[in-house]
Amino acid sequence: MLRVEDLHKSFDEFKAVNGAHLTVEKGQLVAVIGPNGAGKTTLFNLITGQLQPDNGTVLLNDEDISRLPPHVICRKGIARSFQIANVFHRLSVFRNVQISVLSQRKLSNKLFQPAARLVVDETHRILESVGLLDRKMDVAGSLSHGDKRILEIAIALGNEPKLLILDEPTAGMSPEETTTTMALIQRLAQEEGLTILFCEHDMEVVLYKTNRKSCARILKSSKPTWETNNAHG
Amino acid sequence: MEGGQEITIAALSSTFLVGLSRAMILFVVTAGLSFVLGVLRVPNVAHGSLYMIGAFAAYSISTFFGGGSIGFWLALVFAPLVVALVSLIAERSLFCHLYQREHLMLLLFTFALMLILGDLTKIVWGAEYRSVMAPAFLQGSISVFGSPFPRYNLFLLVIGPLVAIGLWLFSTKTKMGKIARAAAVDMEMVGAIGINVSWVFAFAFVLGCLLAGLGGALVSPTISVTIGMDHNIIIEAFLIVTIGGLGNMWGALVGSLIFGITQAFGVLLLPQFAIVFPYLAVVIVLTLKPTGMLKSVW
Amino acid sequence: MFSEMIRKKAFGISLAIFVILLLAPSFLSRFYIYFLAVIFVTALLAMSLNLCVGHGMLFQFHHGVFYGVGAYSSGLLLAKTALPWWMAFSAGPLAAALAGLLIGIFCIRLNRLYFGMLQISLGSLIWAIAFRWYDLTGGDDGIHGIPIPDFIASTTSSYYFVLIVLGICVALMYLILKSPFGSTLQAIRDNPERCAAVGIHVRRHQLKAIVIATFFGGIAGVLFVVVEGSIFPDLLFWVLSLEIFIMCLLGGWFTFAGPMLGAAIIVSLRTFVGTYTEYWTLILGVILILLIFFLPEGIMG
Repeated sequence: MLRVEDLHKSFDEFKAVNGAHLTVEKGQLVAVIGPNGAGKTTLFNLITGQLQPDNGTVLLNDEDISRLPPHVICRKGIARSFQIANVFHRLSVFRNVQISVLSQRKLSNKLFQPAARLVVDETHRILESVGLLDRKMDVAGSLSHGDKRILEIAIALGNEPKLLILDEPTAGMSPEETTTTMALIQRLAQEEGLTILFCEHDMEVVLYKTNRKSCARILKSSKPTWETNNAHG
Repeated sequence: MEGGQEITIAALSSTFLVGLSRAMILFVVTAGLSFVLGVLRVPNVAHGSLYMIGAFAAYSISTFFGGGSIGFWLALVFAPLVVALVSLIAERSLFCHLYQREHLMLLLFTFALMLILGDLTKIVWGAEYRSVMAPAFLQGSISVFGSPFPRYNLFLLVIGPLVAIGLWLFSTKTKMGKIARAAAVDMEMVGAIGINVSWVFAFAFVLGCLLAGLGGALVSPTISVTIGMDHNIIIEAFLIVTIGGLGNMWGALVGSLIFGITQAFGVLLLPQFAIVFPYLAVVIVLTLKPTGMLKSVW
Repeated sequence: MFSEMIRKKAFGISLAIFVILLLAPSFLSRFYIYFLAVIFVTALLAMSLNLCVGHGMLFQFHHGVFYGVGAYSSGLLLAKTALPWWMAFSAGPLAAALAGLLIGIFCIRLNRLYFGMLQISLGSLIWAIAFRWYDLTGGDDGIHGIPIPDFIASTTSSYYFVLIVLGICVALMYLILKSPFGSTLQAIRDNPERCAAVGIHVRRHQLKAIVIATFFGGIAGVLFVVVEGSIFPDLLFWVLSLEIFIMCLLGGWFTFAGPMLGAAIIVSLRTFVGTYTEYWTLILGVILILLIFFLPEGIMG
């Protein structure tokens, strides 16, 4: 489904991503592991369009998406969450998720219909599946860190993605929250049949909390080279 | 032809030189604005007010010392210092408390400062037109390419590059200058290596304002010093730093040259709408290079 | 449930205020009727700006341009041509929205600060043209004694006209802000990067918001002509734009009705302080500083 070939990205002289290769097949749950600073977020940013690669290609279902802007890539079926909690902090939890659902249904430009009545059921469904339904009227900025990360995932789900990319979804979470979140990710992969690509720096999380995984070789932080070894385990 | 003069080679070269001298004043003023913009990341809307205060201060100082040559030179030295003092007071008493806030608040503070300084100037100096006399040997004109060219403009053509060289030496050779340049690129790092960020800001702000005051003092013999100078110059200064590249001092020079020269040619060709010429140049530059001609500091 | 109660209360209060305003001319002197009309026009202007600033976080620093363009377009058409009044009135917001679109296209490519500075610069070009083009625009003097259609020419009738137009516009703005468009705009305000990642074309959305805001700004310009019967370059001068900005901040720029409150306060202060001193600008600057330090989200915020 997703193929990254020989991707390179430098910032001035610093080589952040050096010849990365990655393959994700439909229905897989793929983890990319590496220490902090290895370039995982940069790689994800290259895939989802926040950054443009210097060399190499990113292919989604054999279509070259290497140089497309983020909103176009999103429409092609990739949704992502960010490493730093990136929610709409002044809006309620409900509206946070609703924004992406509206965008997905191409309703963002409607001028004279009240938003409160649109796509309510879909938004509720997503909130329920991540366990935030009872908090739907809370202002997003007031959520705990762990809940914000979950809200991140919920916003991404609003895009009905075929491929979900999660950047360190458990970063900064307590062990309990980590377990819950990893269980959520597993459930999304199994029940909803989502293809999920995520990254982690904590090996334990990946190896012990999930039982269906593919492994990416551990990166050295000096010269990251990426290879994946996809085990459909 | 609606022009004011015949279009001869003499007129063209004279116009070019007039534009160039005007550009020198614009450069002195906008270099200060650019400097503040680069380090503090905030366009100082009160920059024009400080320019105006510089001009009024030059008037007061020169009048106090008799209005002759000595008065002028003393004004040229002390008016910028007066402006620097005013800006230091504003910075240390109020502005510095806002450095932790978001940039919009800093910008709005400079708006408020502009409003306050504008009326304070009116209170102190009144609304009449003032004028400053240039020293005797800078008065009058000499013949350049067959056209009369004001001697004072020659003086400006000398001062401009001197200020440019001075700023360049300062920013590349002195410790303060290097710190300021580093701060413009990465303020956090500068703080992390133990330099007091607040004082860097204060220094940058005061230096920028001093340049505004210098510009005001330099311009005072050439125009009527009056309330409203602040509004006119700040628009021009904004345009210039925008087309030059935000925060880039050499961009301020490029922008000033473009602005000053096109304005002079506008006066020659279409006096009623002279002001449209530099604006059109701005529109053209920005269509081709939306972020300005030279690289912005950020 | 609690929020439902508050919303009903707010609606009730607004309705009460509206009714009082409808009845006002019967017990106010002519000066106060005129004064209120000026507040209404300014309130509409401030509300239109806040669509960009408070709800979109666009640094619309020279919104006054569109106000002025609306006023000049309709004013000039009324004064210099024989076009029917409704055509002249429609030309105002249309011209303003067109200017908004053109200037917006230029500015939207750049980030926040640049956006604001560029807008001030381009807007000043329009001011300079109006200021210098004496034959067309009356230059520095402006144009006075613009013929207003009879049915809204008197103080009281113009008051009602302005009040009704204000009411309609405010209702429309409310609907727009509650719509998916408005919701998305506020999301862009909070986090444009995230919006792009969920598939929103951020720049295009912002540009649409600008066009809508400048359209309403143009309507305010037309209303100005109705109330004052004249036009002058100060409408296009950026210091006015700054005043409107302060109004939004003062009232509460993240709230819906804040700008109207801000407009009422500033216009009142300007009128009444102006009788005691000519240094209104100084006072305005001090107000702004107090706001920045003590009330960054405004009175209602």
